[in-house]
Amino acid sequence: MIIVVSLLIILMLISAIAALIFKDLISAVIAACMVSLIASILFYFLHAPDVAMAEASIGAALVTVIFIIAIRRTKRHEE
Amino acid sequence: MSETIILIFSAIIALGIFLSFLRMLLGPTASDRAVAVDTITTTVVALLVLLGFVFKRYVYLDVSLVYSVLAFVGLVALARFLEKGI
Repeated sequence: MIIVVSLLIILMLISAIAALIFKDLISAVIAACMVSLIASILFYFLHAPDVAMAEASIGAALVTVIFIIAIRRTKRHEE
Repeated sequence: MSETIILIFSAIIALGIFLSFLRMLLGPTASDRAVAVDTITTTVVALLVLLGFVFKRYVYLDVSLVYSVLAFVGLVALARFLEKGI
């Protein structure tokens, strides 16, 4: 089980760095969605299913939708 | 025997997550990345159900239900943006 948790933490770190690097802001939002998705799985591994549920609803769905609406109002590509 | 089966299932799910994650990193367009994240979400729901079976607490299945429904909402918003709608 510790191997799976370590692998998930490494994937979370890589996708967080990717969210910083991407110039296309939609891709950056998708990478940030990936970060909160993996954080939700890690809360699940720590036996906190209610925190995992809140993280999945707020991080993966609500923040993504709000960011997409904000990008829709402004520009898509970073200069 | 049950331990072996759970280990094999976990290895297959981890391989699927890793390959989809490579597509999420390398994908040339945003649509590729969106489809890759959707695939990862579906695979992770399978992982959560398997872990709920391993931990022997069936309340944990609710997490996977909420997870799949809300990831669908996010993907619908993303798809509508890519079609210039929203």
